[in-house]
Amino acid sequence: MPTAGAATEANVECPPNMTFAELLRANQSMVFSLAYHFLRDRGAAEEVAQDVFLRLHGKLDDLADSRHVVFWLRKVTSHRCIDYARKRGSQFTIALDDTSEPSVASQPGDPLLNRRLQQLIAALPEKPRMVVVLRYQEDLTPEEISEVLEMPVRTVKSHLHRSLAMLREKIERSMGDIR
Amino acid sequence: MQDFEQQLRDALARKEQPPYFEAKVLAATRRQPKPVFLRWAFATASALLIAAGIWTDHRAGIQAKEQLQLALRVTVTELGKVQRTVRASTEEE
Repeated sequence: MPTAGAATEANVECPPNMTFAELLRANQSMVFSLAYHFLRDRGAAEEVAQDVFLRLHGKLDDLADSRHVVFWLRKVTSHRCIDYARKRGSQFTIALDDTSEPSVASQPGDPLLNRRLQQLIAALPEKPRMVVVLRYQEDLTPEEISEVLEMPVRTVKSHLHRSLAMLREKIERSMGDIR
Repeated sequence: MQDFEQQLRDALARKEQPPYFEAKVLAATRRQPKPVFLRWAFATASALLIAAGIWTDHRAGIQAKEQLQLALRVTVTELGKVQRTVRASTEEE
């Protein structure tokens, strides 16, 4: 099982012809984390992640190679999360400060800053939010993100550029307020 | 910029899924209905078997009918012979 924070392992971790149980073990942290960082709701992330793996179970014979599974999992999880967030819509508002954090083997960085950044990312519109999560959780390039989200590379870069500028401005302002 | 990107990586570090997650998914796969194509294959095979059964019954019915018709024809012929014999002997008397 990949350790928390080891995003790049997912790119090389799946040898061909793995069983479903092995694929689940190797990728559950990646799928759960994508859903959690996007939805900021532990229960919803668990529900989405389980749904994604059940779909993988039904689809496994169609996926030629286990290495395609990682791409497929990122793609299906991303789209499923965006659909989930849209369906949930405005009826669901979560007090982010009240959410309990899933455990992390060793959370790097400043915990206060991390938490504030997670809250700001959660407030981004759906597609830019998923672009940011895929870029900084999974270390994907804009080209890889464009394949996963089926959008032009130009749009991915534009979402990244605008989201980073907005996040940086807000984090500087809010950390300034705290200090 | 690099510092800020590193901060984002730290904030978005992978989380551990709940400890029961793997077992829960594996249990759910065992409860999952068979894929649609398998259900279709099963339904098609069942329909073919039923159709084959009906066709076999139908063929057997036709054969039985033909045999009965043949038997009736033979009987009619034999009865005709008997009738002719009886009539001939009656005329002789």
